[in-house]
Amino acid sequence: MARALPATIALIVFFALWEAACRGFAIPEFLLPAPSVIARAIAAAWPMVLNHTLATLGTVLLGFAASIAVSLPLAMAIASSTTIAAALYPLLVVTQSIPKVALAPILIVALGANEAPRIIVTFLVAFFPLVVASVAGLLAAPPELIELGRSCRAGRLQELLRIRLPFAVPFVFGGLKVAAALSVVGAVVAEFVGADAGLGYLIQTSMAFFRTPLAFGAVVILAILGILLFQAVALAERLLFPWSSGAERPALAA
Amino acid sequence: MIAIEGVGKRFSGRDGGAVQALEDVSLTVAPGEFVAVVGASGCGKSTLLRLIAGLVAPSAGRVAIDGAQVTGARTDTAMVFQAPTLLPWADVLKNVTFPMRLMRRAGPGTEDAARALLARAGLAGFEGRLPRELSGGMQQRVAICRALLQQPRILLMDEPFGALDALTREEMSLELLRLWTESPMAVVFVTHSISEAVLLADRVIVMSPRPGRVVDDVAIPLPRPRSFDQEGLPAFQAAARRIRDHIFRGQAARAAA
Ligand SMILES: Nc1ncnc2c1ncn2[C@@H]1O[C@H](COP(=O)(O)OP(=O)(O)O)[C@@H](O)[C@H]1O
Ligand SMILES: [Mg+2]
Repeated sequence: MARALPATIALIVFFALWEAACRGFAIPEFLLPAPSVIARAIAAAWPMVLNHTLATLGTVLLGFAASIAVSLPLAMAIASSTTIAAALYPLLVVTQSIPKVALAPILIVALGANEAPRIIVTFLVAFFPLVVASVAGLLAAPPELIELGRSCRAGRLQELLRIRLPFAVPFVFGGLKVAAALSVVGAVVAEFVGADAGLGYLIQTSMAFFRTPLAFGAVVILAILGILLFQAVALAERLLFPWSSGAERPALAA
Repeated sequence: MIAIEGVGKRFSGRDGGAVQALEDVSLTVAPGEFVAVVGASGCGKSTLLRLIAGLVAPSAGRVAIDGAQVTGARTDTAMVFQAPTLLPWADVLKNVTFPMRLMRRAGPGTEDAARALLARAGLAGFEGRLPRELSGGMQQRVAICRALLQQPRILLMDEPFGALDALTREEMSLELLRLWTESPMAVVFVTHSISEAVLLADRVIVMSPRPGRVVDDVAIPLPRPRSFDQEGLPAFQAAARRIRDHIFRGQAARAAA
C-alpha cells in the first residue's frame, strides 16, 4: 500500500494541473474539457455510460478469456517441439503484422454485425504477448532441474506438468498482465469499426456531436478498466501463487 | 561396482563441429568408495557424471553398474549439482521429497525421513520456508538432503560446494563426510579444489582436457575420520603436490604448444 501513495499523489497533481490549465487559459470545452466538466458529463448520463461500459467489459473479458484459452496450449505445443515452433512461429508473427483495424471491417462482413468479430479482434490483439511470455517461461526451467527430472525417470508429461509448467507461472502472469491491458485496446478498436454499444462506440458518437467531455469520460473509464483488469491479474497471482509474485521478475513479454 | 571401460564421448556442435569431451576413460569405483575427480574446466568431469547417471550415452566404450550396462537413468543413483536447483514454488520439505514423489517411491515414512535428514543438516525449523528465503549454503544443504533421501547407492556430486564461500565450504565438506560414513554409498565428487579432493576422498582421479583423459589415479592414505588438521601431514602434502603437478604440467605444455 505504501507503494500506492506516490502514484496517488502524482495522479492528483496531474488532474489538478489539468483543471488549472483549462481554467487559467480558458481552453474551449470541445478541445480539452476540464476534469470537473468530464465528471459532470458522466454523472449526467450515467445509466447510458454504465451500459456502454458493461458492453465493452463483456467484449474485453471474452476476448481475454479466448486469448488465454488459445495461448497456453499453443505455448505448450511450441515449447515441446522445435519442429512445431518452426512451423507456428512465422504464422504467429504474420497475425501480429496484420493491422487489427484493417481486419475488423472484413471480419464484420464475414461474421455479421454481432459480438463475434469484436471478440476475435480483441483476442488477436491480446494473445501474442501471452504466447511469447508463456513459451519463454516453459523454456526457462534450468537445465539441471530438467536433468533432475530425467534422473528420476520422469516422462515428458511429468516433466511438463511438474517442472516446466510451475516454472512458467511468473512468466505467464507477466504475459497475462500485458494481455489484460491489450484486451481493452482490442475491444475499443473493434467498437470503433462496428458496434452499436460500448465505450469505443460512445467516443465516436460523442465526438460526432462535439460532446467532447463525454468522449473524454469514456477514455477515462477505459483507462480505469485497464488498470482494474491489470490489478485483478496481479491479485490472482498473489492469491493463487504467492511464491511467484515475490519471485524474480521476468522482463515483460519480449 | 561402477565400471567405466574405454569410454569416449563426442558431442556434435550446432555449427557442425564436434567436441571430443572424453577419450578412452577407464575407471572403477568400489562400493562405498569416495572418489574425487579434479581437472581444469572443460575436461569432461560433468560429462563423466552424466554418463554414470545414464543421462547421456557414451559414443565409445561402456559404463556398467554391478555388471549391468547403464542405458538410462537409474533409481539408485542421485545427483547434486553446483547450483542448488531447487523448485522455487515448493517449500524446503517438498523440495527434499520431490524426487521420491517423482519416482513414486514416496511412502508414509518419507516425510519423517526428510525431516530427520534436514535436522541432521542443521535445517530443523526451515521445512516450511521457500528456497529464496534461505542462504546459498542452506539451499545447497537442501539439495544434498534431496539426494540423500533417495538412499542412493551412488551419489554423484558436480562441484557441489563450488558456489559457496570458503568457510561454508569447509564446514559442509566435513558434514558430507559424516553423512557418508553413516550410509553405505559410493560417492563420485567433482571439484576444482585440490585440497578439498585430498581431504575428502579415498582416491583422486586427475583429468586432463581436450580430449578429457584420466592422467593419474592418486590413492589418499590418510586415516579417517578426516579433519583439517591433516592438511599439515606429509601424506596430504605429497598427494596434493602430485595432483597439482599434473594439472600445472598440463597447462604449461599447452601454453608452450
Ligand atoms: N551437451 C553438450 N553439447 C555439446 N558439447 C558439450 C555438451 N556438454 C559438454 N560439452 C562439451 O564437452 C566438454 C566437456 O564439458 P564438461 O563435461 O561440462 O566439462 P567440465 O565439467 O570438466 O568443465 C566441453 O568442451 C563442453 O563444451
Ligand atoms: Mg562441469
